Amino acid sequence: MYNFICKIAWASLSRRPTRSLLVVLMIALSLWGLLFMQGLYEGMTEQMINNAIRSDSGTLTLFQKGYRSENDINKLITNEDRIAGKLKGDPRVQSFTKRIKQDGLIATAHYSRAAKIYGINLESEKTHGRLDAYLQEGEYGFGSRGKGAIVGATLARKLKVTVGKKIILSAQTTDGEVTSIALKVTGTIQTNNMQMDDFGVFIDLEAARTFLNIRQGVTQFCIILHEENQLSGLQHELENEFAALETFRWDELYPALMQSREMMGIFSYVMYLLVFCVATLGIFGVILVSVLERTREFGVMLAIGSEFLLIGKIVFFESFCLGLIGFITGSFLGAGTLYYFSVHGLDLSHFSAGLEEFGMDAVMYSIIKPDYFLTAFLAVLSATLLSIILPLRVLQKSKPIEAIQKI
Amino acid sequence: MPNFLQLQKISKIFNPGKETEVFGLTNINLEIAKGEFVVLSGPSGSGKTTLLNIIGGLDAPSNGEVQLDGLILTGLKEKALARERRDHIGFVFQAYNLIPVLTARENIQYIMKLQKKGGAECDARVLEVTTKLGIDTLLDKLPNQMSGGQQQRVAVARAVASRPQLILADEPTANLDSKTAEELMDMMLQLNEDEGVTVLLSSHDPLVISKAKRHIVLKDGEILKDEIVA
Repeated sequence: MYNFICKIAWASLSRRPTRSLLVVLMIALSLWGLLFMQGLYEGMTEQMINNAIRSDSGTLTLFQKGYRSENDINKLITNEDRIAGKLKGDPRVQSFTKRIKQDGLIATAHYSRAAKIYGINLESEKTHGRLDAYLQEGEYGFGSRGKGAIVGATLARKLKVTVGKKIILSAQTTDGEVTSIALKVTGTIQTNNMQMDDFGVFIDLEAARTFLNIRQGVTQFCIILHEENQLSGLQHELENEFAALETFRWDELYPALMQSREMMGIFSYVMYLLVFCVATLGIFGVILVSVLERTREFGVMLAIGSEFLLIGKIVFFESFCLGLIGFITGSFLGAGTLYYFSVHGLDLSHFSAGLEEFGMDAVMYSIIKPDYFLTAFLAVLSATLLSIILPLRVLQKSKPIEAIQKI
Repeated sequence: MPNFLQLQKISKIFNPGKETEVFGLTNINLEIAKGEFVVLSGPSGSGKTTLLNIIGGLDAPSNGEVQLDGLILTGLKEKALARERRDHIGFVFQAYNLIPVLTARENIQYIMKLQKKGGAECDARVLEVTTKLGIDTLLDKLPNQMSGGQQQRVAVARAVASRPQLILADEPTANLDSKTAEELMDMMLQLNEDEGVTVLLSSHDPLVISKAKRHIVLKDGEILKDEIVA
């Protein structure tokens, strides 16, 4: 009997190919748009999060208790070696790096601005967050004598400094004195992390120790994990083992980015709801007309012994075919587009100035997740089920004898 | 022993209580034995189609009872009526009413598939019935590829193939030329004799009436005459 059901349903769809094609296109194009926007927006959000993790916070950051709340350079992590040993042996840890961070002032002959001074190890940062990949101008280095500085691109622009120019850094040391150091700009970096690009000045870790009179210790450990879902476990372990430390997840240091991600989730549901509505209304229109056109045919089938359930199966199969073809077409278009932009990126360099203001990259890469297609399939399937309810109700109220008598 | 088909005090009122109230049937009492070939005749509006629809469960009477082979049809729910129509009653309509997207073979097999009969059994039955009706060469054609007479023979084959106990035919020859109509009637008579199926058909065609073994005349919703002819 299923052969007959399929044949009758398919014949109805192909009887009016233009009408069927229009509904399929409606579903396919709306699904294509949804998948593209979702993949691109989520990719953009993840890029921003990734930039923040790589350039600053890591997945997890360790500070000495009181460092962040009091902003006190004396609150240092002194048991570096023990912590490093623990992290090196932990399979959950992808990489880690140590930094000395202090607020200060950066000045040229004509301008001065607030700055965040980062004492870093170049090789460690390269392995940890690929800081070298953010280099915009100059070299990834501090010069032969270690007296260079890499400046955030926006900060450099505001100070009107270029590679080779001299800057003066001033900051408070561990013994409360304000000291200064003259450095040459060796490079500029663009991380699209506003905090880094607007205020960041990177100097050699040892140079920072000397500059800030730090004999031992660092202000920060940044850790990147292999899997984000292992975060809570490692965080609890470190808090238990190193009670003098405070641990912060990336979303605690960048709550706005976490909110972006959550907004993405809500945005997705709204988009799926839109696709669901488009599919439901599109299929409903076609099925209602199709059922009303065939009231007599269905009446004959009921008269000669079919149960109404059989009619329901035929109508459902028609609806399902429309939804499925639309879904497959839309998925192919969406997957293809997302794959292309995941490899080549969407180049919005023309709008780079504006995008930088929001901490976004000029080239956006989309991401593809199987979840997108599964949720879309469920949305379309629900639409096919919902769209046939009213047409079947209309048909059920029309008794066979009355249907047969319709001309 | 009760007859195969019994109608007791069957009445049908259309639009009861309204200005357009019409008495379609009035107090019809009728008994038909198994294997009879009965023709209902009468002028237009006499109630032939209404009576056939009530017997076939396509319409409900305003009063009275229909019993088919001991089962009371009146009052059954639609699902149960559908099963009765599927298993025990075959329909032949004036307008053929074949399913347009199915071939002749598939149309004939349709009810047998509803009865969940196997492929081999369906094929054998289709061949048997279509050979008797002379349409075995049309099995792969669609309805729109056949003449009116061919379509009506396919409709008869569909009605008979599932081995119903009763065939109801409403003006089966109305859209056919006289030669085709006579051929069809002869085939239905042959099927009645070979298969033993009870046939009740309505017509105001004298040719059809002439083939009747029992002739019932309706007028204004009442039985005017009921006579055994052959």
